[in-house]
Amino acid sequence: MPRGRQTVRQTGGPSITRRQWLSALGVGSAAALAGCSGDDDSEGTGTATSGGGSDGTPSVSGTYDTVTASAFSTLNPLYNTSSGAGTAIGYALDQGYTFDDQGAYFPLLYDLSTTDDGSVWVFDVREGLSFGDPYGGVTASTFVYQIRELHQSDWAATAASSSWRGINVEETGEYQFQAEIPEAQLLWPESYDPLLYPIPTDLVQPYVDEEDAEGLQQDEELLNLSFTGNLGGYTLDKWERGSGTTYSRNGDYYVQNIEAGPDLFSDAPYFEGASISVVEERASRLGALETGEADSAGIPPERFSEFQEKPQVETFRIPQPFNRILSVNMRDNGWNAGPGNLFRFTAFRQGLAAAIDKQGMIRGIFRGLAQPHYTWQPSWSDWYPGDDAIEQFGAGDQYGGDVARGLVEEAISESAFDYRFDGGALVTPEGETVTLDLHHLAGGETFQLIAEFIASELDDALGIEVTVEAIAGTRFQSNYWTAEPQGGTATIAGEEVTWDQPTLTNPGPRSVTAAESWDMSIVYGLNTYPLNPLTNEVFFDGPTAQYNPVGYYPDFDARGVFERAREADSEDALQEPFTELFRNLAAEQPYVMLVFGDDLIGYNPDLVGPTENFFNGWDFPAWYFDA
Amino acid sequence: MGLASYVALRVGWAAVVSFIIVTVTFGLFAAAPNPSIQQAATQAALQGGDPQEAVERQRQLRGLDEPLHVRYLDFVTSIYTLQWGWSDYRSQPVTTALLNAVFYTAQYSVPWTVLTVLLGPLVGVYSAANMYTWRDHVATGFAFFGYAIPNFFFGIILLLIFGVWLEWIPVVYRTEVPTFSLANVRQLVVPVFVLVTGSIGAIMRVSRNESADFQNATFMKTAKAKGVSPLRAYAYHVMRPTLVPLSTTLVGQLLAIFLGSSLLVEVVFGIPGLGRLTFNALVAQDTNLVLGATLFFTFLAVIGNLLEDLAFTALDPRISYDDRQL
Repeated sequence: MPRGRQTVRQTGGPSITRRQWLSALGVGSAAALAGCSGDDDSEGTGTATSGGGSDGTPSVSGTYDTVTASAFSTLNPLYNTSSGAGTAIGYALDQGYTFDDQGAYFPLLYDLSTTDDGSVWVFDVREGLSFGDPYGGVTASTFVYQIRELHQSDWAATAASSSWRGINVEETGEYQFQAEIPEAQLLWPESYDPLLYPIPTDLVQPYVDEEDAEGLQQDEELLNLSFTGNLGGYTLDKWERGSGTTYSRNGDYYVQNIEAGPDLFSDAPYFEGASISVVEERASRLGALETGEADSAGIPPERFSEFQEKPQVETFRIPQPFNRILSVNMRDNGWNAGPGNLFRFTAFRQGLAAAIDKQGMIRGIFRGLAQPHYTWQPSWSDWYPGDDAIEQFGAGDQYGGDVARGLVEEAISESAFDYRFDGGALVTPEGETVTLDLHHLAGGETFQLIAEFIASELDDALGIEVTVEAIAGTRFQSNYWTAEPQGGTATIAGEEVTWDQPTLTNPGPRSVTAAESWDMSIVYGLNTYPLNPLTNEVFFDGPTAQYNPVGYYPDFDARGVFERAREADSEDALQEPFTELFRNLAAEQPYVMLVFGDDLIGYNPDLVGPTENFFNGWDFPAWYFDA
Repeated sequence: MGLASYVALRVGWAAVVSFIIVTVTFGLFAAAPNPSIQQAATQAALQGGDPQEAVERQRQLRGLDEPLHVRYLDFVTSIYTLQWGWSDYRSQPVTTALLNAVFYTAQYSVPWTVLTVLLGPLVGVYSAANMYTWRDHVATGFAFFGYAIPNFFFGIILLLIFGVWLEWIPVVYRTEVPTFSLANVRQLVVPVFVLVTGSIGAIMRVSRNESADFQNATFMKTAKAKGVSPLRAYAYHVMRPTLVPLSTTLVGQLLAIFLGSSLLVEVVFGIPGLGRLTFNALVAQDTNLVLGATLFFTFLAVIGNLLEDLAFTALDPRISYDDRQL
């Protein structure tokens, strides 16, 4: 069950159609498998029957029950953009491939290979895959039809449509097709772009003929996953809206017959059934974990050590690539403290980063269960340049009032306005104390704590007064974070730049702004794409990047760096441009980077399978109860 | 004006009220920008297409290029024929979503209402009969405790005690248990208890004070003198007149607190009922579903009012409908 499609972590709110941007996740939502269960009779969960399979494999027993914080809005594989529903779909329907615990490509429905420099990719579809009656087998044409008629159509607006733009797909055999991508990418699979669900051609054809997007979205068979045949470990029995999903074991799951993968796949899966229940109240989810009604659930940092002590729960810390950042508004509706906009100066953003004690935040708010975030990549990523290669603001000798003030002074000297320090406090040219607002997501205690911590750090180091305000995610998104795309041109560092394809999250130059003004926010965290950092183009390939709500104009040649990364002909050759990218991002702080919080998950101690790494759950079919 | 024509008028008026509500709703909708159109424009811009063209296409698709009166007629027709559209947030028709939610809400709200209506006056009259004794104080204390403690907090505490520590009740609500089964009673007993303690207080206090008036009424003295048993005296001579003023407030009160309290209790106990449905529809900006839920509650209130009036007219001979204002 691959995860990591989503770029943005937010709470609630409508998700924009581009799947790589937004996916609504519940508050503190945890990894793909986090959650709770509820098995009413004590016989149910995790009691293995004695003995095992004849060949030493474990016996099939129990039901794997989890909980989730928010309900699924759709289970239609063509339109889902949220990771929670992605998990619910994944129980019943596999996607093309995943990455194993080493981060290596692992073929599920098809293998991917490139013979050249990554501009032509060959898809080899596994034989023996079949849909439920009456839809027959899965072949190359299943995927080619889906790509051409749905993802590349101008009417369907599927979740994957942005991944297939401009790509030429050819069927080259019954079980083979190839894709020619416009710009060579050695790490194309790692971008998740070529990832497809198998969808029966006969099922979608009537909608294709009519160009009926609404009908396709509302199709009962797609919503209830009733066509999945042998393509998933479980069959969806029922999706009770607002309450969750229940599944039963699929005895002829195709992975039983594949060569690769763990030996345990030969009899997979090992649970009689599974369920995901929607429980919005965190206290109730944790209660269910404690009583064993849930086989897994996310745990908040402040209660992690308490659960570590409990014998009926096994706790896991799982590193992940979603960050916590302080967004500062460089557009014209930002910096409402006085004239100009100091956020636009790199040195000022560095000053902010240097004023905030990362270790202090990790200790005080995350109870030590987080990693410091210096550049746009977690330290466990293969592409992390190393601690010595980058600036590390907010730690060691790069932390403190003196450092921060020095950097802010530098920014002021570049600025056209006479901001100055008056007795340790930053004041405007009129001599007023600089006051900035900081919006944080309402309803998440962690967000509030971070906001208050930042406020006190900025006050201590720079004498900036910060007004902390809670805001609902949906309101922030529609009135502050996004704006009507207008486009336009701007002269940046002597060059004329034009916004040809403005988006909601980059509506144009800094003069194009959202409805409401704001200074700083901690509402969204973003994905840093450690598997394929090239994907970070959406944030940083220049002022016109698709996702640039804060109006960041890179000082370094960002577009050139991404260009070089795309042209690399081997993975080794990628290291250099990526190192340069992350060195520059650490220095420029387009968003003031704070921490990477670990996913904290509690599991039933009888469960065998979970691992403490980012790819946890890739081999979910091989998980079992060992009572 | 006779009874029949009064009833006819009253029903007609209820229809007019619902019609006004629907019209105002339509007006608001027509004036508000349509998010799906903006989304289409954005999508087109992303795909490198022409946003303007996409907007036109979307308007055509949704019938927004029709003249206003045609759209209005379509809207009204679909409302009264229960074609309430598709809920994006739930991926099902709005009416199905509402029916599903009502089914789960009814499972706790019916026992909740019945228990409140039965126990409230009973405890109130009992309190009044034992005015200023320790029994009265216990009952009063109980009423104020239930009234004062926030439902969701009380719910979490009880869930912790009975669900997590004692494991007498399940923590996770399961929709697959049969409606009339012990398992369902087990998972609903605590939510119902929380709701009843929350709503019983007010009714109990009102009936206590109302019935205190009748305690010393002449007919009570007569009844006692004739040797009527205390139980009968209270049940027949105190309860009945007490219930007359209560019955008006009762219905209104239950309707009013229906949504709010049930939302919090549904969240804590994970019951997929109306409260959560409406709240989440609002948060997810699912226009059709919000509209459906709102109309559902409005119609409920209109019909409830109508029934109350009609029942009064029919039941209480002292109410003359000649000079009643509609």
